[in-house]
Parts: sequence; C-alpha cells; structure tokens
Amino acid sequence: MHSKTLGWALLAPTLILLFFFGVVPFIYVLFVSFHQWNPFAVNPDMIFNWAENYRRVVFDAQFLASLGVTIAFVFFAVVSELIIGYALAQAFMRDFPGKAFFRTIHTLPLIMAPIIVGSIWKLMTTPSIGILPNILDDWFGYNLNIGQSALQAFTVTVIMDIWHWTPLVTLSLIAALVSLPPDPFEQAQIDGANKRQIFWHITLPMIRPAIIATVFIRLMDALRTVDEVLMLTGGGPGSATRYVGVHIFKEVFPRTNYGYGSAISVVVLYLTIVACWLLYVSLIAPRNTRKG
Amino acid sequence: MRNGNRWLPVLFWTLISFLTLFPIYWLFVISVKPAVELFSTPSVILTDIYWQNYLDVLGDRTLRGYMVNSLVISTGNAVLCTLLGFMACYALSRFDLPGKESIFFWTITNRMAPPAVFLLPLFLLLTQVYRIGEFSLADTRTGMILVYCTFNLPFAIWTLRPTLDGIPKELDEAAYVDGASAWKVISEVVFPLARPGLAVTLILTWVFAWNEYLLAATLTNFNARTLTTGLSEYVTTTGTEWGIMAAISVFTLIPALIIFSLVQRHIVAGLTFGAVKG
Amino acid sequence: MNIALKIGASALALSFAAGMAAAQDDSFWKEAGAQFEGVTLRGVTEATPPSNYVKDVLAPQFEELTGIRVDIETTSWDQMYDKAIKDMEAGTGIYDMVYIEQDIVYAYLARDFLTDITGTLTEKPELKSPAFEESMLTSFAEFFRDEDDHLYGMPVEAFIKPYLYRTDLFSDPEIMAAFKEQTGRDLAPAKTHEEYTEIADFFTQWGKDHDLDLWGTTAQAHTGHAASWYEYFESVAPTFGVYNWGIDPENNYAATVENGGQMNSPEAKEALKWWLHLRDIAPPESVQSTWTEVATTFAAGRAAQGLVYGENAAWIASDENQSRVVGNVGVALPPLSEGVLEDAESGEGYLGYYDGGAFGVPVTSKNKEAALLFLQYIAQDELQADWALAGSRITNNATYDDPKVQALNEELGGYFDMLRDQGDLFGGAPAYPFHAQVREATAPIFYSILTGDIGPDEGLDQMAAKAEEELTSLGYRQ
Repeated sequence: MHSKTLGWALLAPTLILLFFFGVVPFIYVLFVSFHQWNPFAVNPDMIFNWAENYRRVVFDAQFLASLGVTIAFVFFAVVSELIIGYALAQAFMRDFPGKAFFRTIHTLPLIMAPIIVGSIWKLMTTPSIGILPNILDDWFGYNLNIGQSALQAFTVTVIMDIWHWTPLVTLSLIAALVSLPPDPFEQAQIDGANKRQIFWHITLPMIRPAIIATVFIRLMDALRTVDEVLMLTGGGPGSATRYVGVHIFKEVFPRTNYGYGSAISVVVLYLTIVACWLLYVSLIAPRNTRKG
Repeated sequence: MRNGNRWLPVLFWTLISFLTLFPIYWLFVISVKPAVELFSTPSVILTDIYWQNYLDVLGDRTLRGYMVNSLVISTGNAVLCTLLGFMACYALSRFDLPGKESIFFWTITNRMAPPAVFLLPLFLLLTQVYRIGEFSLADTRTGMILVYCTFNLPFAIWTLRPTLDGIPKELDEAAYVDGASAWKVISEVVFPLARPGLAVTLILTWVFAWNEYLLAATLTNFNARTLTTGLSEYVTTTGTEWGIMAAISVFTLIPALIIFSLVQRHIVAGLTFGAVKG
Repeated sequence: MNIALKIGASALALSFAAGMAAAQDDSFWKEAGAQFEGVTLRGVTEATPPSNYVKDVLAPQFEELTGIRVDIETTSWDQMYDKAIKDMEAGTGIYDMVYIEQDIVYAYLARDFLTDITGTLTEKPELKSPAFEESMLTSFAEFFRDEDDHLYGMPVEAFIKPYLYRTDLFSDPEIMAAFKEQTGRDLAPAKTHEEYTEIADFFTQWGKDHDLDLWGTTAQAHTGHAASWYEYFESVAPTFGVYNWGIDPENNYAATVENGGQMNSPEAKEALKWWLHLRDIAPPESVQSTWTEVATTFAAGRAAQGLVYGENAAWIASDENQSRVVGNVGVALPPLSEGVLEDAESGEGYLGYYDGGAFGVPVTSKNKEAALLFLQYIAQDELQADWALAGSRITNNATYDDPKVQALNEELGGYFDMLRDQGDLFGGAPAYPFHAQVREATAPIFYSILTGDIGPDEGLDQMAAKAEEELTSLGYRQ
C-alpha cells in the first residue's frame, strides 16, 4: 500500500543493531566452537579440531543430564506461569477496590535482581536456619532439605522461578486482554455462548499471538537461567539443578573451556531455535491459513 | 449480585499478595539483622531492628554512582528498544516486505543465546573493534544501552507485534485517504492505540535491563558499573554480606516502584477501542 | 561489615596519615611520582576488607604523595578472575594491577601474564624505593616467585585455616566432667582425628540432650559449590598425609593409585569418610555452607569446634556486632595423622591451608613503572599495622612486633603467633597451572559423593580417573 522503502527504513535500525551486537558475536562463537581452546592448557592457543567438540557434545553424559533437568525445569516453570499468569490477568479484568494497588504489589518480584532473588530464597530455605524448613517442620512435620534432596531442590527452583516471573506473564496478558475489541464477546453472549465456549472460541484465538510471544520469552529466559540458581543451590545437590545455563557458566568461567563451551552453546542455541520454530509454526501457521 | 462480589476479589488478591510479599518481607528482615542473627532458629515476627546495614549503604558514595548508572542505562535502553521495536513492528505489520516473517522470527533468536559464551566476543568487540580513536564503547553507558538491545529489542518486537496487528489497518488507511502523512498516521493514530502494549513493553524492557548482571559485570569497569554488579561485590571469598545486599535491594525497590507506577497507568489507559467502533 | 570497616579505616587512616607524613621521608615518592604526571593506575580486586583498605586508604595516600591516581575496581570472586584473564589474554591493557589469589598464580606464570618485579627493579634502580626490600616480606611471598626466585606479586593478604574451638565450652566444669565420664580422658583440643570425632560426637549429643542449638563441628559441605571440594582437598586430605590433591607432579601428574597417584589411595578414602561423618553431625545448614556460612555458623555459637578460614577468625573473635563468641575463641593446629607433622616440618608435606593473595602487574599494562611504585608503596613496613587491624592479614615480618597487632593477637587467641611461628607448616594450593580446570572437572563427582549418589570409595576412584583424563586433554599428562 505504501512504499516499501519506508518499511525498510523503519526496520533498518533494528537490523543494524542486532547485526553488530547479535550476529557478529555469534559468528565468533561459531568459529571458536571448531577449535580446542583452553588458555590454561599446555598449548594455550586455538587449535582447529574440525567437529571434534560437537562429537563430544553428543556423547557428553553430563551435558545430556543437564539438558534433561533443564527441559523439566522449563516445562514445569513455564506451564505453571502461563496458567497462573492467565488466571491472574483475567482476575484483573474486573473492577474492584484497590485494583491498582494490588497490581503494583503483584509486579514487585519483577524488579528484584536475580542475584537477590537467589539470596532471599537461599536464606529462606537453608536447613535449620531458614524460615520455610522450620514452618514446614512445625506445621506438617515435613523435612525440607534442599542441600540433600534433589527433588526438593528442583521444586524450590521451579517455585522461585514462578514467584519471580509470573508477573511478567500477567502483565503481558493484561495488555493483550485490554486491547481486545468488545464486539465479538457481546455477540457471543447474545448468541447464548457459555463461559467455556467464549474462552476456547473467542478469547484464546484472539490472544494467541500474545500468549505465544510470552511463552517464547519465558521459555528462552528460563533456558538461560544462571544467577538465581547459582546463588540458591550452586547447581546442586550433586547435579540436580545444574541447568544448561549453569553448566555452560561453569564450563566457560572457572574452567576456561572456551572451545568446548562454545560448541555446547551453539548446540543449545540450535535446539532452542528448532524448538521455538516448531512451536511457532504449529501455533501461528493455522492462524495465518485461516485468515487467508 | 455485583455488589456482593466486589469484595471477593479483594480477599483473593489479599491472599495472593501475601504470597508475593512474603519473600520481599523476608528480604527486609534480612536487611535489619546482623548476619549472626540469621544463623539461629528463625521467627516470622521481627523483634529487634538493626539499622547499621542501611547506614552503611547510605554512606557509600560509589553505590549512589551505580544507582545513577543503572537508572540511565535501563531507562535509555527501555526507551530505545520500545521505540525501535514499535517502528519495526509497524513495518512488519503494515508493509508487504519480502521475508518479513523470517526476519520477525530471526530477531527473537538473538535473545536465545546462552550469555556466558557470548561475553568473550562482546568484550573483544567493545574494547577493540567498535572504537573510534581513543573512544571505545567498553565501560560506557552508551555501550551498555546498545548491548542490552540484543535481548531487549527482540523482546520489544515480540510483545508489540500482537498489539500492532490488533489495531485495524482500516484506521490508518482511512487517515491516509484523508491526506495524512506517514509520520502523522504513526504518531496520531497508531501510537495512541498501542499505548497499553507500549507501556507493558517499556516496563518489562526496563526490568530486564535493570536486573541484568552478567553482561554488565564483564563489560564495565569503572565508569558504567550498575547496581547489580555492585550487589555482587558483596559475594567474596571472605564472606557474603547478606544484610548489606538486602539493604541495597530494599533501596533499589524505591526508584523501580516510582517508575512502575508512572508507567502502569498507561496499561489500562488503552481502553480506547470505543473510537474504533465509532 | 565491609563498608563499616571502610569507614572506620578511613577515619583511622586520616589521623594516621597526618601523623605519619611528617615522620617519613617523602622525597623519593615525590620525585619518582613526578615523572608519571597524569597517569591513572587501574586495578581489579575482590571486595574483601584488605583490598578495600587499599582502595579507600592506601590509594588516596599514594595519590597525594605522588600525584598518581589509583582506581581500584572491586568485584565478586568469580568475576575478578574472569575479567583479569580476559584482559590479559586479549592484551587489552585495561588493568595495571590485578589481584592474584595464591591458587591462580601458577596459571598466570605459566602464561607469562605477569611482570617480573625483581627483574624490573634491578634493571631500573631509579624506580626502587629505599624503603622496600624483598626480605621484609613474610615467607608467604615465596608462593609468588618463579624458579629463578624472582617476585611476581606483592602480597596483600595472607591467612591460614586453623582449628578453632570454643574456650568457654572446653573449660566449662560441667561439660568437662561429662566428657571425662563418657570418654575417660580430659577435654582438650584434639590432636588426632579420632579425638576430634570423639569431641564432635560428644558436643552434638550434648546439644541434643540439653535442647541447645549446638553441634560438635562445622563442615564446609555445600553440595553444589567448590567450597566443599576445597575443604576436603586442601584442609582435610593433607592432615591424612594426602598432599597436592593426591596428584603427583613428579610422576607425569598421576592421580590414580595404579599410575602412582594418591587421589584414591586408602588414606584419601579414610580422610573422606572421616569428614563425611563430621558433616553428618554438623549443624544441618552445612550441606548448604560455603566459607561464609561456616564462619557465621561458628560466630553464631552453633559449633563447638571447626576448621575456619583465618580471614574470618579475626571478626569471629573480636567483632561484637558479627559474633556471639567474642572472647571465647581458641586457636590450635588441625588434628593430624601420624607422620604428618614430621612431613610438614621437613617441608615434604603440609598440614592445612595457607591462603592469600597479591597484586601483580600484567605485562599488557601501559603503566608498569608507576604500578611498581604503588606496589612498593603498599609494602612499606610503616603502613602495615593499621592494615592488619582492618583486614587481619600480615604480609611483612615486622608487622608481628607492632604493639597494636600484638594486642589484636591476644584477642584472637594467638592466631597471629600461629601465623608467624607455624605458618610454614601450612601450604598453599599446589603449584598447578590447571587449578580451576581439574577442580571443575572433578567437582560434579564430588558433589554426588556428598549427596550419597556415589559411595566415597567408588567416587574417589572416578575422580582420580577424571582428573587424569582432564590432565591428558589439557596436555599436561602424556
């Protein structure tokens, strides 16, 4: 309808920025991933070793285990956040006294730095001196020890993530719900549709793009989680919460395993892209075809 | 019936708020206790208050510098990303550009990268490549504002796209027919309608930039250090200063809350679809 | 505590500096500084009390005297290494001074990252301060020398990890009587591992019986943090005669018993089981404890005895705001197996951990000469006493005799005496350029031992094999 030049001009700053700060570093990481490189090896230089790093990744039991717990973590955290976040966003759609106040409170966890969130949860959950193990023991006789129990540590990281990031989902979905035009809902009510039908046939399709965007963001952020978990459990007990972000951090920072760490990162990035692409195609594509 | 139900949500939200606030209350508890008190059987109720952590924080001039850097970087980055994201989404939503869906998907891949490994190339680029003479982007607020675009710009694009797609094209076409310029259409027709989405994007990009740690820790040294890097200074081999970290965090809640409440009003201000109907 | 110390230290230093300036001959610093007009030195270090003292007190003094500005960036533990390594590896030249912890100096030396302090000062005598001699430094400086005895780092912190015990509990008549009745011997700080376990078991039971928050020992046994790995390999294993992590540098870096190493030797396994038992009777938070929490656990009065890093010993013993056991802290050598003391005395082994750090000058620095001036400045004897009070660290021989330091020594139950007289018996991290690499490669297995997923014997076997594998892949083991 208008000149494409204007379209490209509007896109250009984004493309340029992402090229210089996103694509160029990626090319460098890709380059490093084909080398053996640890600055504290006998030979500290980069040595080209074909796809050896990638061959190792496929058979690296530790990495695969880390990938496994990460997928479980992301699944439980993101699904819970989506359900709770949607329910809360809907709850905010009605009018009630003190709504703005409650909304502000609900968004508070977002403004806490991950390193602080990790510290608070660590001090709340440390055996014997944390408030949660004490309450659980006094009230229910339940023994919470995230330094010993893998399952408990995993669960606490999931709950911490839900506490920290559900407000993001709520806010995004509020924005989507607020923007919905009222006509289809009024029409449906006139036609005698019940609440469940309205939800499945009207609300959900209309806010699907927003839901997908939110799920994507949470999915990829949860995959990259480092600071909070490092502070809370350090990846332990054992390797129970050594999520890929933490695993890569430990490979690259203390172990200075730049070559292999780069290969792992490329693989993780690739898997994330593929997973998101499949999700995107399966959820967005039907919408587009229906439109057309 | 409506009146009776008005207080039910209040009860519900009081309960939810309790869950949300408990860890934050605990942060406050940590901030008003000496470390040694944290190592005993805890009690939910505070009896003694120990203000020393706050006095220490207030007396520290470096921290004030960090606070200013954090405010400048997050605000600058949030405004930049929201603006560029809005422009990009308008282009993606309204123009028939070849390969635009692929471009849209590609932008988000920039956010997926595991950060630890990308620190090295970013460090090299900022210190050695992206420089003019003596001026390099390393350890500058501008540099951090630009670097944060790698994860915040894709976010802005992805949250704004549904908003812009949701604004009927007929509206701007009608305006064009009336002889409005592209700038006028964008600023006077589309922008106001996109306000809830823009407000949420602004808040959330601000939050991400405000909380970012790894990139800031590696790419800043003296001039552009942020609060999160300041917080991590208290995690040392000798000890972790829980109380001071908590006191700083309580302080950081204040500017964040102010910015939040300023922007939050715009989220609901977007109920302007009456205009669409008319 | 850091900031409180900073403020206190600054106030102290202001009055101190005023008094000192007159007494001291400033002409060397003024003249030497004149040639570096407009130079700003930049250093990176950890935000510990000794480093904060450099940043807040010594750096401003130096600037006033020489006109050379010193900016010190303080950061967290893991960031500090990463930033220094990135800078030196890439040759960026951001830093003129980097903090070198004792355990990483060998990696830096192997990569020729650091400027030779001895050599440069010999070549350029005009840079050498008349007030500085390398012989002023304690034996801790030996860790920062190469084979030719050249110094590469100026020590700023030095600590040992002693055995702390609660003097009030150990001298309580009721407890003493009960202990005597139960064990048939007098209650006194343990000399052997068996005695230590006996005391630990006794106090844990005592706490339980009397409904006290008291346990018999500390344990730095975090199940996901390198702190636990360090406690075992650097504090516990040596007391059983397993040195240098059980790796033999003379023998092709062997770690497994089959190849001549000791990492999975019977002694190593015995040491691990001994320590795991202590972990089980330590306060419950121990499974989440790094060095921070261990020190706080002891300061909160929750443990009767324990191995605690010396940098924390000072505030545990003297700071009322931080500690509930002020005045009740005794210091002793860690409990030992037979023959270990002899090994340590002859220099063949060591009986615990000697830690600390130094400032070095990266070869990539653009202001090496000015940086060397600063290093000599902070090494002066006159400046050490107040620095020792602020950070409970001693790196010069003369500091021990200062009356202020002597007074603190009394409060610390003789900790500084032990550092002076028996410091040589303690050892730093082994001289390995692959320190963090081998630690990180084996640590996940170690954490699995701690959670009980792998038995201790089997776990150490796996760790030894893993260590050899990592050393082979890095090229150290042929």
